[in-house]
Amino acid sequence: MKSLRRIATAVAVAGLVALCATAAALGSRSSSVTISVASLIPGSTQAAVNQFNSQVAQFEKANPGITVKPVEYQWTGPTFAAKLAARTLPTVFEVPFTDARTLGDNGQLADLTPYAQKLSYFKEFNPAVIAEGTDAKGQVVALPKGAYAQALHYNRALFAEAGLNPNKPPTTWAQVRADAKQITARTGKPGYVEMAKDDNTAGWILTTVVYSLGGRMETGSGTSAKATLDNKYTIQALNMLKAMRWTDNSMGSNFSYSWGDINQAFAAGTVGMYVSGSDIYTNLVQAYNVNPSIYGIAPIPLAHNKNAGVLGGGTLAAVRPDANKAQLAAAVKWMSFFYEEPQISKTQAIRNAQTLVANKQPVGVPALPLFNKRLYDISQTWIKPYINVPIAQMKPFLTGIFSENLIPEPEASTQSVYHALDAVVEAVLTNKDTNVVQMLQQATSEAQQAISQGA
Amino acid sequence: MTDGEGGSGIISPAEWRKPSIRFGLSALQWLLLVGLVVVGLGPILWLAKSAITPTLDTITHPVSLFRHGAAWSNLREAWSTVHVGRYFWNTIVIALGYWAAQLLVATTGGFALSVLRPRYASLINGLMLATLFIPGVVLLVPLYIEIVRVPLVHSSLIDSYWAIWLPAGASAFNVVLMRRFFDNLPREIFEAARIDGAGPFRLFWSIVLPMSKPILGVVSIFAVLASWKDFLWPLLVLTNPNEQPLSVRLPSIEAQTSLGVFLAAMFIACLVPIAGFLVFQRTFLRGSGLGGAIKG
Amino acid sequence: MLDQLREPAFTKRGLSRRSGVPRRTPITWVRGGGLSTVVFLIPLLFVFGAFSWYPIVRTVVMSLQHTNLVQPATWVGFANFKAVWHDPLFPVAVKNTAYFAGLALVFGYPIPLIAAVLMSEVRKRRGIFSALAYLPVVIPPVVAVLLWKFFYDASSTGVFNTVLGWVGLGPYPWLQSQQWAMPSLVLESTWANAGATVIIYLAALTGVQTELYEAASVDGAGILRKVWHVTLPQLRGVLLVTLILQIIGTAQVFLEPYLFTSGGPANSTLTVLLLIFNYAFGNSLGGDYGKATALSLMLAVFLALFSLIYLRATRSWSSR
Repeated sequence: MKSLRRIATAVAVAGLVALCATAAALGSRSSSVTISVASLIPGSTQAAVNQFNSQVAQFEKANPGITVKPVEYQWTGPTFAAKLAARTLPTVFEVPFTDARTLGDNGQLADLTPYAQKLSYFKEFNPAVIAEGTDAKGQVVALPKGAYAQALHYNRALFAEAGLNPNKPPTTWAQVRADAKQITARTGKPGYVEMAKDDNTAGWILTTVVYSLGGRMETGSGTSAKATLDNKYTIQALNMLKAMRWTDNSMGSNFSYSWGDINQAFAAGTVGMYVSGSDIYTNLVQAYNVNPSIYGIAPIPLAHNKNAGVLGGGTLAAVRPDANKAQLAAAVKWMSFFYEEPQISKTQAIRNAQTLVANKQPVGVPALPLFNKRLYDISQTWIKPYINVPIAQMKPFLTGIFSENLIPEPEASTQSVYHALDAVVEAVLTNKDTNVVQMLQQATSEAQQAISQGA
Repeated sequence: MTDGEGGSGIISPAEWRKPSIRFGLSALQWLLLVGLVVVGLGPILWLAKSAITPTLDTITHPVSLFRHGAAWSNLREAWSTVHVGRYFWNTIVIALGYWAAQLLVATTGGFALSVLRPRYASLINGLMLATLFIPGVVLLVPLYIEIVRVPLVHSSLIDSYWAIWLPAGASAFNVVLMRRFFDNLPREIFEAARIDGAGPFRLFWSIVLPMSKPILGVVSIFAVLASWKDFLWPLLVLTNPNEQPLSVRLPSIEAQTSLGVFLAAMFIACLVPIAGFLVFQRTFLRGSGLGGAIKG
Repeated sequence: MLDQLREPAFTKRGLSRRSGVPRRTPITWVRGGGLSTVVFLIPLLFVFGAFSWYPIVRTVVMSLQHTNLVQPATWVGFANFKAVWHDPLFPVAVKNTAYFAGLALVFGYPIPLIAAVLMSEVRKRRGIFSALAYLPVVIPPVVAVLLWKFFYDASSTGVFNTVLGWVGLGPYPWLQSQQWAMPSLVLESTWANAGATVIIYLAALTGVQTELYEAASVDGAGILRKVWHVTLPQLRGVLLVTLILQIIGTAQVFLEPYLFTSGGPANSTLTVLLLIFNYAFGNSLGGDYGKATALSLMLAVFLALFSLIYLRATRSWSSR
C-alpha cells in the first residue's frame, strides 16, 4: 500500500515536471529565461554536486519559466578579470567582500537595487554586510552569500595523542606555540602550519594574526590610505612565526600550502592547527571527506589590547552587467532562493537543510549572521534536527565568537596588500636569517604604491 | 639513426681491437644505459606504479612496491569522478584542430611561396621569418586581449577552441619547414603536370602533397605533441572547466583530489604521448634531429 | 641560423612568373595564376596577420598606453616602462631569470653532449638509447612538473629524500627553501628537455666527416684528442645555435616557476615571464596590460640585442 502510494506520488511528480517542461516549452519565448549560476568549486564530490542539482530542481519547480544552468566556479585572481572582460562569467557569480565595491564602482557588476529592495527581508540585512555589496553611488551590486570569522582549526585526535585536552584549545598565541611544540614532539606531525603561497593567502593569514594582536595594515581609505604593514604587531607576529619555524621546528616541512592544500593536509590528519575561515568545514567535507571526529575549531586567540580583533570577511553573489531585465529578475530570485532564504525563512531553511542532509552535506557549519544575531539564533532552532556537523566539537568557537570584535579586511587594494605580505611570510619560513624589518619596509612601499594607483 | 654497425666513428678499428678501450667504452655505455633507464624511464615507471597504489602507501612509503596491494580503483575513480575521460576528449579535440590549422597553413602557404612563388613572396617570407625571431611572450598579452574582444566582430573567443586553433596556425617554423621541402622537389614534375593541363589546385592536391608524406608526418606529430604540451595559452583562454584540456585541468584539481587518484589521472594523461612516441619513434627522432638542422 | 633560412631558392624562377607575358591588367593577372596564388596564401595571411603581425604591433601600442579593459585606453608615453624599471620586483625577476638560464646551461649543456658522443659510438641497438633519452620530452610538461613536485616533497618521506636517505643524505628542503628552489626547478627542466638536445647532437654527429677521424688516427691522435679536435669543431655550428636557442628559451621560462612555486618562496623563483603574467593576470580587479607589454618588449629587445651580439661575436669562430 505504502509503495503504491509512493509510486503514485512519483508518477504525479513526473507528470507535473513533464507538464511544467511542456508548459515552459510551449509558453511564449519571452516568459522563459535561462540563467547560468555559479555552482561548486571544481573537483567537488558527487554528493555535493547532487545536492546542488536538487536545489536547482527545486528552484525550477517553484519558478516555472526560469531555467538554471549550474556552472562550476571558483574565484581566482587570474581567471576572474579575464572572464569578466570576456563576459563568460555565469549570470550569477561570487566575489569576495574585498572586490565587490571596486567592481561596482567600475561598472562591472549589474545594479540590483530595484530588485533587491523588493525582497521582504532586505531591511533586515546586517548593515555592515550589505555595505560590502553597495557601490559608491549607493547602488546594491551584490548580495551576501556568507560571512566568516577567521578561526583556529585543530585536529582533536592529534591533540589527544600529544597529551593535550581536545576540549581546551589554546587561547593565547603563547599557548598555540607551546601546544604546537608538544604536538610535534609527541606525534612527529607539524603542530601548526600556515598558508604560505604566492596567491595572497599568506598575507591574509598574517593580517589575521596581526589583527588579533591589535595591529592594522592600513589607515585611512581609498587611494589616500596609508600602508602600515611594518607596524610593531606585524613584527611581533613574524617573530612568533620565526620562533615556531626555526627554534621549535614545529611547522613541518611544507611551506607552500595554498588554501586548498592546507585543507587537504588537515583532512588527511597530518596537521595539528591552522588558521582559516570559520566556514571551512564545508570544504573539508565536500572536497576531502574529512573524518568529523578529528575536527575542532576555536576562536583566534586575542591579545589584551583594545584594538585586538578577529578578521572577518565573506562572499557576495553578483550578476553580470550585461544581463537583461528578465535575467536580472531571475538571477535575484535565484540568489534569494539559494543564498538568503535558507537563513531567514523557516520553510526554506528546513527545505535547504533536508536537501543537504539527504546528500550527506554538512548542516550547521559555523558562520556569521548575514542578518542579525537574533534572527540567526532563530534560524538555528529551525534546522536543529538536521544538524549533522559535530556541533559539540565546535563549542569552543561558537561560545566566543559572537561577542568578539570583528574587523573587516584592509579596505584599500586588499589583494595587493596581501600579495606584498606573501613574500615576507615565505621569507621568514624559508630563510632563517630573514631581516624581518627590512622586508616589511619593502612590502610597505609595494603596498603603498598599489594603494596610490588604486590597483 | 639506424642501428648501424658503423665502425667509422671516433674510434678507429685499430683502437676497437684494444681490449682496454673496448671494455672501457662498453662500461661507459652500460653506465649511460643504466643512467638513461633510471632517469628516462624511472619517473614514468614510478608514476605507473603509484597510479595503482593506495594513497596512504604512496604518502608514507613512496618508493616501496605495493605494501598493501594494488588499488585499481584509483584509475577507475580518476576516469569517473575526476572526469579524466572528458578532459582527455577535450585534449584530443584541441589537438585535432591544432593539427588541422597548422597543416592547412603550412601546406598552402609553403606551396604558394615555394611552387607558385609570386613576386611579393619575398616580402611575405621576410615578414614571416621575422616572427621566428620575436619571443612568444611579446604576443601573449595583445593576443589575449584580441581573443577577449575580437576586433571588428565585437564578440569574444574566450572559452572557444578557435581561440587555440587559429593562433596555432601562425607557426612560421612549420611554413619554413614545408617550403624548404617543396623547394627540393623536382621542378620538372611540376612543369610536366602544368603542360598536361593541371591547375595549381590539382598540382597541390595530386602531386605535391602525395610527394610530401614524410614532412607531413613530421609536422603532424609535432603539431599534436605541441598541442598536448600547451599550458599557458589554454589556461588563459579556456576558463570553463568543462572545456579545458588535461594540462590545464590537472593543476587546478590537484588540491581537491586524493593523491592516488591524482597520480592515476596524470598517468592517463601520459599514455597517449608515450604510446604515440613508441609507435612513431622514428618520425619523432628524425623530426627532432630535423628541428635542430633547420634551426642550425 | 640566418644563413640557412636565407637560401638561394629566391633567385630560382617561380612557376607563375613567366617572362614575356604582359602582367598589367587584372585579367592577365588572373590568367597567369595570380588569383589562385592569393587563394593559397589566404590561410597564411589570415592567421599571421591576425594572430602574429597585428598583435606584435599592438604590443608596441599597448606598452605606451594605460589599458585595463575597463576604462578606455589612454596614452601615457613611457610611463609603463618607467614603472616597470622602478618596480622593486623587476631586478629580482631579472636576476632570477639570469640565474635560471645560467644554471640550465651548467646542468643542461654539457651532459647531452657527452651522452650524444657516447651514444654515437654504440654499435648495437642505438635506438634504445635514443628512445630512453627522448622519453621525458614526450611527457606533457604539466604532468612532469606536478610529478616532480611530489618527488620534491620536503619531508623525510618524500621520494627524493627517501632515496637520498638510503645513502645517508638529506632530508633536503627542495622547493621549500629560497636557496634550493631555483636549482630544483632547473633540475626538472633539464630532465624534461635534455633528450631533445641529445637527439639534435646525435643527428649532427652522423654528419661528421669520417675521413677526418681516419686522418687523425693516422696522425696518432687518441680518442679524447679526436673528440676535442675533430668532433667538437665539426659540431661547432650546432653547438652555437643550441646555446643561443637555450638561452632564448630559458629567458622565457614560465611553466616551472608558475606550477612549482608560484614564484616563491619569497620571490626567489619569480622570473621575468611570471612577472609579466602577474602584471597582466594577477589582479582580480583588472590587469595592468601596459606594464605587462612594456616588460615583454623590454625582454624581446634585450634578447634581440643579445642574439645579435652573440651572432657577431661567434661568426668568425663558427665559420672558421
